[in-house]
This record gives sequence, C-alpha cells and structure tokens, in this order.
Amino acid sequence: MKNGISILLSRIATPTRVGPRDFIVVAVLAAVAFAVPYFAGTYQQEVGFRILQLGALAAAWNIAAGYTGLVSLGSAAFFGIGVYTMAIASNAGLPIALCVLLAAVMAGLFALIVSPALFRLRGLYFTVGTLALAEAMRIFVVNSPWFGGQAGIFLTARAPKAYDLYWIALLIAVFVVVCVLLLLRSRWSYRMQAVRDDEDVASQLGVRTYRTKLWAFGLSGALIAIVGSIQALNQGIVQPNGGFGMSWTIDIVSVAIIGGMGTKVGPWVGAVFIVLLGEFLIQFPEIHLAVVGVVLVLVIRFMPNGIWGTLTLALQKNRNFS
Amino acid sequence: MNSIDPVGLANTVLGGALLGGLIALSAVGLSLVLGVMKLVNLMHGQIVVLGAYVAFYLAAFWGISPLLALPIVFVLGFAFTAPVQRFILAPVAKHGEEAGLLTTFALAIILENLFIRFFSGDSRSLDTAFSRETLAIGPINLPTIYLIGFAISLTVCLAVWMLVTRTSFGRSLRASSEDPISAAIVGIHVSRVRWGTFALNGGLASMGGVLIALCFSFTPSSGSEYLLTAFAIIVLGGLGNIMGTFVGGIALGVIQSLGAYFMGDGYRTFVGLVMLIILLAIAPNGILKRRRSL
Amino acid sequence: MHLSTRRRRLAGGLAFITATALALTGCSPIGADGGTSDSSDPIRIGATIPLSGTLAGFGSFLQWGYQHAVDEVNAAGGIMIDGTAREVELTLVDDKSDPNEVTSSIKTLISSTKVDALLGSCTPDLVNPGAVVADSQGVPFVAECTPIEVFKSVKEWTYAWDIFFSVADQAVAPFEALEANGIETNKQVFILHDNGPDGQAIGNEIWPVVAAEQGYTVAGNIEFPADNTDFSAAIQKAKESGADIVLISSITPAAISIRKQMAAIGWTPKVIVAEKGAEPVQFAEALGDLADGIIVGAYWDPSFGYPGAEELKDAFESETGLTSSQHIADSYTAAMVLMDAIAAAGSLDKDEINDAIGETDGIYAVGPVKFDDEHAAKIPVVSSQWQDGVPIIVWPTEQATGDFLFPVP
Repeated sequence: MKNGISILLSRIATPTRVGPRDFIVVAVLAAVAFAVPYFAGTYQQEVGFRILQLGALAAAWNIAAGYTGLVSLGSAAFFGIGVYTMAIASNAGLPIALCVLLAAVMAGLFALIVSPALFRLRGLYFTVGTLALAEAMRIFVVNSPWFGGQAGIFLTARAPKAYDLYWIALLIAVFVVVCVLLLLRSRWSYRMQAVRDDEDVASQLGVRTYRTKLWAFGLSGALIAIVGSIQALNQGIVQPNGGFGMSWTIDIVSVAIIGGMGTKVGPWVGAVFIVLLGEFLIQFPEIHLAVVGVVLVLVIRFMPNGIWGTLTLALQKNRNFS
Repeated sequence: MNSIDPVGLANTVLGGALLGGLIALSAVGLSLVLGVMKLVNLMHGQIVVLGAYVAFYLAAFWGISPLLALPIVFVLGFAFTAPVQRFILAPVAKHGEEAGLLTTFALAIILENLFIRFFSGDSRSLDTAFSRETLAIGPINLPTIYLIGFAISLTVCLAVWMLVTRTSFGRSLRASSEDPISAAIVGIHVSRVRWGTFALNGGLASMGGVLIALCFSFTPSSGSEYLLTAFAIIVLGGLGNIMGTFVGGIALGVIQSLGAYFMGDGYRTFVGLVMLIILLAIAPNGILKRRRSL
Repeated sequence: MHLSTRRRRLAGGLAFITATALALTGCSPIGADGGTSDSSDPIRIGATIPLSGTLAGFGSFLQWGYQHAVDEVNAAGGIMIDGTAREVELTLVDDKSDPNEVTSSIKTLISSTKVDALLGSCTPDLVNPGAVVADSQGVPFVAECTPIEVFKSVKEWTYAWDIFFSVADQAVAPFEALEANGIETNKQVFILHDNGPDGQAIGNEIWPVVAAEQGYTVAGNIEFPADNTDFSAAIQKAKESGADIVLISSITPAAISIRKQMAAIGWTPKVIVAEKGAEPVQFAEALGDLADGIIVGAYWDPSFGYPGAEELKDAFESETGLTSSQHIADSYTAAMVLMDAIAAAGSLDKDEINDAIGETDGIYAVGPVKFDDEHAAKIPVVSSQWQDGVPIIVWPTEQATGDFLFPVP
C-alpha cells in the first residue's frame, strides 16, 4: 500500500544528508541550552523541560513513523513502560541511571514480543493495531495485581529539583538527537526508507524488512520509554491513567505532525509550538485541546509536511528558481 | 474459588451474544467506511457518543422515547457527518491515507472537547420502559432491552445489506470500493459515493450510540472505547462485509462475556483488544470471510 | 579520520562555551525563586481542578466553593499581612482529569504564578500528584475530596493537608443505618468495588472486616477497573450468590451502569449501597426512579446546622441555578481553613502558614476541623438514601431528615 504522506516526505527526507555541520549545530544548541538554568528561573526551566520532553518523544516516534513508515498510535504503551520501570526499579533502590537503562531494555523487549503480531499488519492496519495495543496495556496495568492498580506507585526517591530535571531532559534530548543523526548517517537509513516507500520492493531488493522494522520500532520505543522514565521522576507518583494515558499519544502525534514528520528538526519545532501554545492558552483551559485539534486539521490540510517541512520545501524552491 | 454454575454461564453467554449483536450496529458504518473509502475513521467513537447525546436531549426536552427517536438520530447523524466528509476529509484525501486518519484523529479531539463544553462531563444514560424488564425462558433471564436492541440492529443491518447489494447506490459503492478509477471512467460519481458512505456511517453510528446508551451510561470521553470495540467487531467480521459485521458483533460479545465471566469484568475489554491484535495478525481480512460479499 | 579530529575540536569548543557561560552568569543554577513580594502584591492561592475529562462533574463545585470563599474574604477587606491588608488572588487551572496535567500545572502555579499556597483537586487520582509536588517544593497545600486513609497512605506529609471523611467510617455507616432502622435481611453481603485507591481500601480491606464484625457474611467480592462499563458477569454472580445486600464502591458512570444492568436482568437486591458513585446529583438524574432506595455515605447537608451552611447552599443555588452538592462545603471549608491559617500566621512565609494550618481547630461550614499527626482532619459520615431524586439522611437517627426506604423498590 502506497501512502501519500510518505511519497511527499520522500521528496524532502531522501537523500538525508547528515554532515558534521549537524553535530556542530546540536553541540552549540546543547551548550546554550545547558546554561539556561544559570540565568532563567524555575518556571522557564520547567517549560524547557516540557519542550525537551515532548521534542525527544516526537523525535523518537519519528524514527519509526517518519523514516520507516510505521505510524504508531501506541506510544503510550512504551511511555508507560518507562514510567513504571522507573517507579518500580528506583523504589527497589537501583541508581537512577540504571533505572533509565532498564526502562529502555524493557521497552525493547516489549517491542520484540509484540512485533510478530504487529508486523503482519501493513499501513493503516498497523496503526489500528498499535492503538489497540496501547489501550490493552493500560487496561492490563489497571487490572493486574502487580502494579498498584489505579492507586499507582509512590516514588520514595528524593524529588529532583527543576534544574536537575531540566538537565536530565537535556541530556536525553541530546542523546535522542545523536541517535537520530547517527541512524540517518548509517546504512540503516536506506533500509528504513526503502521499507517506508515500498515494503515489497524493499524485500525483493534484499532488504531484511522484518529486522529493519524491528530495529526502528524497538529503538523508537526504547527512546520513548527513556523519556517516560524521567516523567516518573517529574511526578513523584505514577498511575496507569497518567503513565499509559492516551494524552501522550495525542501529544506526540500532534507535535510530530505540526512540526513535520520525517524531518530532523520538525519534532523540535513542533514541541516548542505545542508547549508554548499550551502555556499561552493556560488562561483558557476550556479551549486548549480544541485549539490543538483545529491547528492539526489545518496543518494536515494546508501544510502536509508540517511547519519545518513546508519551510524547507519553500526554501529549496526559492533556491532552485533564483 | 467460584464453581461454575451452568445457568449463570448460559445467562452470561446469551446476554453477551445479544449485546454483541446490538453493539454491531455501531460498527457496520465503520466497516463500510474502511472497506469503501479506505479511511480509518478515528472519530467514529465520538459520532457514537454524539448519537447518544442527541437521543438524550430529545428525551429531556421533548420527551421523545429513545427508541422512537432512532430515525431522527439517524437523520441528524447523517446531516452532521456529510459536511465533515465534503469539506474536511475529501480535500486531504490527496495527501494519502494517513492524512485522513490523522485528520479524523484531530476531529475526535475537537468533538470530545465540544461535548464537555456543551454537555458537561456528567455521566448520562438513556432510559425506556423496557430498560428494566426481563424475559424469562426457563431458568434463563434475558434483558428485554438487549432483545429489542438486537432486533433493531439486525433489521438495520439487513436494510443496509439490501441497500448495498440491491440498489444502484450499492452498485456504485461496490464499484468505487473495488476500483475507483474504473468506476469513475464508467460514469460513477466516486466522490459522491464516498460522501454518501461517510454520512451513512454517521447515521448508523449515531443509532448504534443510542442502543449502547440504553444499556450503559456514557460520558463525553466514552468515544475511544466504542471505537476500539467497533474495530474488533469489523476485524472479526471482515471489512466491508455487512452481515459479517453483525455476526462478528455476536462473536465478540460471546468471547468478551466468557472472558469477563472467568477473569472478571475488568478483563472484558482487554480480552477484546488482545483478540483484535491476534486476529489482525493472523487474518487481517477477517475470519468470517470466505469471499468478498460486498 | 578527519572527522574524529573535528569532533575533538568540537568537544573542546563545547567545553569552552559552557565554561564561559558559567563564568558569565555566576556559578549555581537558579533554584526555588525567593519569596520576595512587596506589600501591594495580592496573596496568591492556586489550584488545579477537573473542568474537563472524566471527573469534570466535580470541577464546577470546587471552582464555586474556592471562588466563593475567596470572594467573601476579599469583600471583608482581605487578609492582614505584616500589618497591611492584602487581597487574595485565586488562580484556577483545568487539569483535564489527567494526573500528568496536575503535576505540570502545580509546578507552573508554584514557579510562574508564584503562589503562596495551594488548594487541592478532586479524588485521590488528582489530589495525590499535586500534593506530592507541593510537599517536595515546600508549598502549603490544603486538599479535600480524598478519603483520609488514602491520603495518609501515600507518604509522611510535611506541607500537604487533607480535610475529608474516613473510608472506615464510610464503610461502617450503612451497617449502622440498617441496625438503627431495624432492617431485617439474610445478613449476606456481596461486594463490588473498583480498583481505585479508595475502592481497593474499602472493598478489599475494610468492608470484609466490618461485615464480619457486624455479624454479616460476605457472599462474594469482585474487583473491576474504575472505568469499566459492562458489569453483567459480576452482577450475574452477585445474583447467584443470593445476597440481600449489595455493597458497591465505584465512580459515577460505573454505579449508573451497575444499577441499570441489575434492572436489566430483573434483579433487585433488598439493599443497595453505592459509595462514591451514587453521591452526585447526576447519578439520580441519570437513573430516575431506579435511584430510589440506594444508600450512599454523605458528609454534609445544610440541615446539620454548622455555621454558614444554609447560607452557602442558598448562595450556590441562587448564583448558579443548580442543585447544591456537598462538595461546595468541603471546598469552601478547605479554602477558608487555608486563608484563616494565612491570617493567623500574619505572614506569607510558607513555613509559618504551614504551622498555622496545623494549629487549625474550629467549626467550619462542613463541620469541625482539627488535623491529626498525619495531616488529616476527619469529618463525620452520615448515611443518605436517594428518595424521589433527593438525598434523605437516614442515619444517624438524630440527624435523619426522613424514613428509611426498605426494601429497594
């Protein structure tokens, strides 16, 4: 099944040129972002945390959805796995770094377990399958006797300060970006794009499609779980409806679409947009989500490549004509 | 702990079958939309909830019994969804299947928030004189409302089946579904067929919402659960297969009630979802389908 | 290989930039902002409340209760801080019934709005995450709408306080009501409860023990997830058990579905107790006469005669045109307790306010409020029964506003 978004995307995202310049830009931005807590207040640090959190989530989702064509509505499952792994592991006394690593491992295992069923589904059916999967996970965690039910789990670890959280989120965001950049530099990116553009042709050309999809889906899920594990620290208490809530999936998809699916910078543009929109609309809580919905409808219709994709396309066109 | 009581089990299974058939009405339209338009309609659950609210307010303000309100709900559901297809979904169709999916996703968010704004977050429920009666057949007690809902659902499904197999609209619909380009060449107005299909789905889903609300309570946020149930049913029944959807509903109802009986009610939806994933994986085109009956 | 040298240079550059940035801006990150405010600033109180999402039914009552209390205090000239009268400014944020939103909104209220103190949202799901943040950041937080055992079980609180009833009292109340009204049953109870924090506490731990103490036997006990909608299997089992009494603890949509599905299979237990879910008016509105006879624990009625109770109900009903709920009383009380504590502290120092909250000992609209060592103030529970769409108090006998309806019609 061909799909239009992918065809459109392939125009801008292939061939993906990732050069040293990208790493330098990331390093400079990271250095600037690193210094933020030295001159900005707690509130700015918290907003920064949310931008980094959402941006990292969308960038991680993008690995599967944007570059490999695995449009998943099941991100909440991976996020929740991260949240709960952190809660359980840190309460067991493991050091935070190990908990984060464990979250990634658990998410990777989960991807491995569900992949035989999910990867039989193509295109839209895959999307529906992931949606059902995330909901099934939430209901399972709510029901099963091992995860504290609806009451959830209280984290006994000392609550981190705003700047601690901000720096951890920055570290993870940089990690996600570097993962994406290295991935795009590697041979994997060609395999992923081949799978995205036409799975059957890719397989005829000798691409091991199943393995490629599993790597993309697993890496994407593991990175989402890493971000999720930090959310557990941020909240100090985890609950199924918070950790496995559909709201994460909604946020991730909104950010990626508004910013631009399948682009390197799009998720970050989208995250800044969504978080700042949320802060701006805090005085009008009743219309917040509806506004996000309207923006989404408009962006899909008039800027199918998202803010960043449309910008770069316009710039390219400009260059070609001049 | 609990020994199995055959009468109780029979009650549960029969109740589940009736309920599944009743809920199938909310899934028939989704099946058509997916089969004909190749559109994953993520706002389906919200349309179901909308139908329930329309019936609720018809009953509250004009005292119209929810069952008598069904035709009105159908017309309003149809009228509401027709412009959505015409002005919002059709223009993004050229961006591919995922654009439509994501647009309905955004519309679902908008609708849910509008419901909360206008209808408040309170739980509502529909009531009729039949809601609290039972029909006793020997030791088996069946809720009258389940039987009535089952009958209505069956009738409507048959009517839709006739529409699709016996009318010229149905022929155009089948042709557009199988090969839209050839259909257009032989003079079928494909975009009008799609528009009709989506609006028909709107009407059917709204009616399904009324039947569901007669049995359960509903809130503005109930939509996503109905969406997933409807997906499970059409996957069981085969995409675009109308009577298959009805049978799929019954099958899901029985499976879920068995799951609930042995594992507890909490696992009812879980069993359905796991079934959905497994079925999608082993038979993406549905298990009840031998050949395309549409 | 040229890349690696470039990367090394890059790392050097990065270190340099960072070092410069640090040198330029001092050497420690900015933590909690200092509470310096001049005397013309208002006193800032914030809260998240569920105005949308599944718990939106509570939000409007909390909104009104908090706002009404603040308006009253401001109309009386505000609060004296260090010898100057200051207005109170209330900031309410919608938490969308989502625990994640509670966390981020409470953080924003503390860091951006710079609140001096906080009030709670509703239900443990939304109160606990807010309390955890407030507690770790040292901002006084007064909550209600969370049963005190559930609140206490989370952690040892320093800055968070809770004013509500006790699940244990709530669990005993229906048995007391049956006893006091001389109701004859087969003394068999069937328990249906959700797996929310309070549902688990009452269904798994408290009800079985209380039932045994009171001479009842538990014929069955079924747990279900809070947002479950179809209960036919559970109800079927309850019916088969032959119990006369059904004890339910669930949220409102579930309570409505359970009652409807009981009616649908033609089974009417002699006594139905539906804690939590049967409490709001929307329960009786949704069910009509099916709600009749259902017993639910309550903690407030204007007829109890606490100071300002009648006025509170009248003000709510005349301002909003809606039927009042007991949640206006506990939210109003929580806000009043907090503002009285600020007045008693005479300062906006968070520790002083917190100490003053702990000293609270008075009779408020919802009843007497005095916190115990674990930061909870218990309000007494009564039993009410829906009769013709109106909650009638049936126990304790001296507070009763009508007769006990038995059996459930």
